[in-house]
Amino acid sequence: MTDKLGWIDRRRLVQLLGAGGGAIAAGLPANVFAQARKNTLVLGIDISDTITLDPARLAQYTSPMTVSAAYDSLVTMKPGEYINVAPSLATKWARTPDGKGWRFTLRDGVKFSTGNAMTVEDVKWSFDRVINLGDQPSQYIAHVDRVEIVDKSTIDIILKLPAEPLLSIIAAPEFVVLERKVAEANGGTADKDAKTKDKLAAWINGNSCGTGAYRIAAWERNQQIQLVRNEHYWAGKPPFERIVIRHISDGAAQLLAVRRGDIDAAFNLIPEQIAALKTEPGVRLAPLASLDFVYMALTQEAEFNKALAVKEARQAIGYAIDYDGIVKSMLGGAALRPAHYLPIGVSGSTEEIARQIGFKQDLAKAKELLAKAGFPNGFEFEIIYGNAAVQGVTYQDLGLKIQSDVARVGIKANLRPVDQVNLRTEYTTGKAKGGVLTFWNPPAVENQLWAAAVVQRVAKRVHWDPPENIVKLVSQAATESDPKKQHDLWVEWQKLVVDQANHFVLFQPVYQIAVRNTIKEFPLTAAGWMLDLHGVMPAGG
Amino acid sequence: MPRYILSRLALAFVMALLATLVIFLLANTVPGDPVLAQLGDLAASNKEFVAEWRAKWGLDLPLWQRYVIFLQRLLHGDLGVSISSQRPVLQDIRDFAPATLELASIAFLLALIVGIPLGIMAAVRRDSWIDHLARLISLIGVSSPTFWLAFIMLALFYGGLQIAPGPGRIDAIALPPASVTGLYLVDSVLAGDWDTFRDALAHLVLPSIVLAAATLGLITRTTRASMLESMQQDYVRVARAKGIRESRIVIGHILPNALIPVVTLGGLAYANLLTGAVLTETVFSWPGLGRYTFRSAVSLDFPAIMGITLIVAVVYLIINLLIDISYALLDPRVVR
Repeated sequence: MTDKLGWIDRRRLVQLLGAGGGAIAAGLPANVFAQARKNTLVLGIDISDTITLDPARLAQYTSPMTVSAAYDSLVTMKPGEYINVAPSLATKWARTPDGKGWRFTLRDGVKFSTGNAMTVEDVKWSFDRVINLGDQPSQYIAHVDRVEIVDKSTIDIILKLPAEPLLSIIAAPEFVVLERKVAEANGGTADKDAKTKDKLAAWINGNSCGTGAYRIAAWERNQQIQLVRNEHYWAGKPPFERIVIRHISDGAAQLLAVRRGDIDAAFNLIPEQIAALKTEPGVRLAPLASLDFVYMALTQEAEFNKALAVKEARQAIGYAIDYDGIVKSMLGGAALRPAHYLPIGVSGSTEEIARQIGFKQDLAKAKELLAKAGFPNGFEFEIIYGNAAVQGVTYQDLGLKIQSDVARVGIKANLRPVDQVNLRTEYTTGKAKGGVLTFWNPPAVENQLWAAAVVQRVAKRVHWDPPENIVKLVSQAATESDPKKQHDLWVEWQKLVVDQANHFVLFQPVYQIAVRNTIKEFPLTAAGWMLDLHGVMPAGG
Repeated sequence: MPRYILSRLALAFVMALLATLVIFLLANTVPGDPVLAQLGDLAASNKEFVAEWRAKWGLDLPLWQRYVIFLQRLLHGDLGVSISSQRPVLQDIRDFAPATLELASIAFLLALIVGIPLGIMAAVRRDSWIDHLARLISLIGVSSPTFWLAFIMLALFYGGLQIAPGPGRIDAIALPPASVTGLYLVDSVLAGDWDTFRDALAHLVLPSIVLAAATLGLITRTTRASMLESMQQDYVRVARAKGIRESRIVIGHILPNALIPVVTLGGLAYANLLTGAVLTETVFSWPGLGRYTFRSAVSLDFPAIMGITLIVAVVYLIINLLIDISYALLDPRVVR
């Protein structure tokens, strides 16, 4: 006796459901694309901050990786070596005979992805374009006066102030060489009116005209960037036919995908997810040392906070924070801590130096300084922070930690979460009334950029008028040509700004990237573009 | 009828403009500075740079002038240029809308296909096991937090059982079909590419289930309640007395009357889905309007915010109009 449910009987219903489910299951492709998978490298990373793939307009965090795969600069930085540059499109460099600039000898036999040979005109055009476009990257070569062709394999970059650093700055992917013919055919221009006349954006945000190992084939916003092999690459045949930089916004989804082998590497995992991978066969964790850091800035404007205007009071905060606790417990040890704004790995900043001259937790000393400052019973101050996280640690957690640390010496920290955009507004306009928890990452690996920032715009934000000797020291160190002397000058500078106690660097992340063991070589770099895509090699030859 | 539609459309347009005005005023009261959201640290401290940037985006003009410019552009079908993506807002929306349209439509269809029959059966066999099952499913669907459900589905079917594909609209290796509508299902059929069709369909399964969950609950309960009420009517008793088959009574007599509230709520639910679901889109890395809206709001991207507001308002107003028209079809008494 069939059980009738209105007009359909139960048996028929079950049959229908079963058939429907079967249809869905049968329809799911088992692995339609297995064949192509072997020759393709798939990276899982949140690339939602990508706005442009035009090197001359680059100013975001994740896009340098793609740009540096498709284009090359005159010089580059090898992973782990962040003081000296290495040859790339230039094989030799030296001062120009008159000492006013740098002379580069170009490499022979370099071809663009179109197959055309790279010429010295392409190099000059590319630099002229960056300068004349006047977009954000141009600020970092504001001290370049002009670029001059000497002969067909030699080019000069003449500086306005000859002693100012240049080499490490032009290693950044903003200063790469584009193929002039292709760029101009698609709306690009390097003329003086490039700011208004350049229309390369539409084309370059889905193509590339460089000398890099891979060329950009497509960019589907918030989905993926596709790169294909450059058959004319000057440094040998790149191992992969295709690279897909796949946008996966959620770290948890990246974890699942890297486990299943749908992606070869996952970039945005947080400590809990990383811990889950430690026992996973087939996946390893590769450290990505970075030159980013998280810090707290303290204002010294007396009108905002009488206590913070006193140097010893600020230093007391510096001695109260439990830095080791932050690095060990909150980050699982996956971080470094420099003494000040010079991240560990650059000239003058090593772990040993940071240990010697940087702040460390010393509650007794903190109390002593408080008394000296005239606040033996402590004082109150505000800390603002945004709704974000670095390496899985939220600014909120950091704020809470600092709050509890300084409370041990009698200082009361009031936490105020602020929207990210408002935070930047308050901080950069110098309206922050206490401490600000925020993040710094370098556009290029050059000490002068960090140090100049400290004594110029960042000083304004904390209402500090730096004394002349500290400001002079920055240009002295930046223009010193002897490496040993330069190193010592930077150490001296750091000692002075540490003493000033306007900034406490809390940690310098060592990101953990999950990489499948089907990839043998995965050269991560802290130089700003995260990964040398041309150096990624699959396992098994 | 045509006059009715035209007058409703005119009203809809005026309402949409009003919505943009309100959002414009609200967005400008936020103390944050959109320039700082876009510029790196060095540029943001460079007064000349900032001034140039502001002038480029018209941010240095007085409020009323900016709104007037927006209206002027609108008359030419130009929604302005997004500050964060630096592309025309219309182009951004054209990029992201199909993904949301596809997902929302499939999810809604799923909710309808499962929800209405379930609701009918629950009403017809009141207090039976199927009624309890329907109510349980509705409850779970409506009360599950979207983000949690999305991730549970992904972890279970993709990570654990490995029978569903991962985040994204298609496989990482696959190339999207030639863009005609932007809807991968349609485009792949048009191109005759059945592999991509199956791939796109497979990728739609999990996110549609997640989005359908809440809507399903709503539709099931509403159908059930509405059916129960209609079943009490006199005409049903008369029809039974006349000897008409039970199934014909249910489908032909009760259902059309019961559907009116379902259409209302269902339509609004569809409009809600169409405007994007941020959390689902995040977990499944779905490049849709939800994420775009969120990012625009967070970075104070005024042109994008206004563009989205206009689109959202228009979508809701059109859906409302369609609902009203459907009343006329379901119940002839409405138009007279």
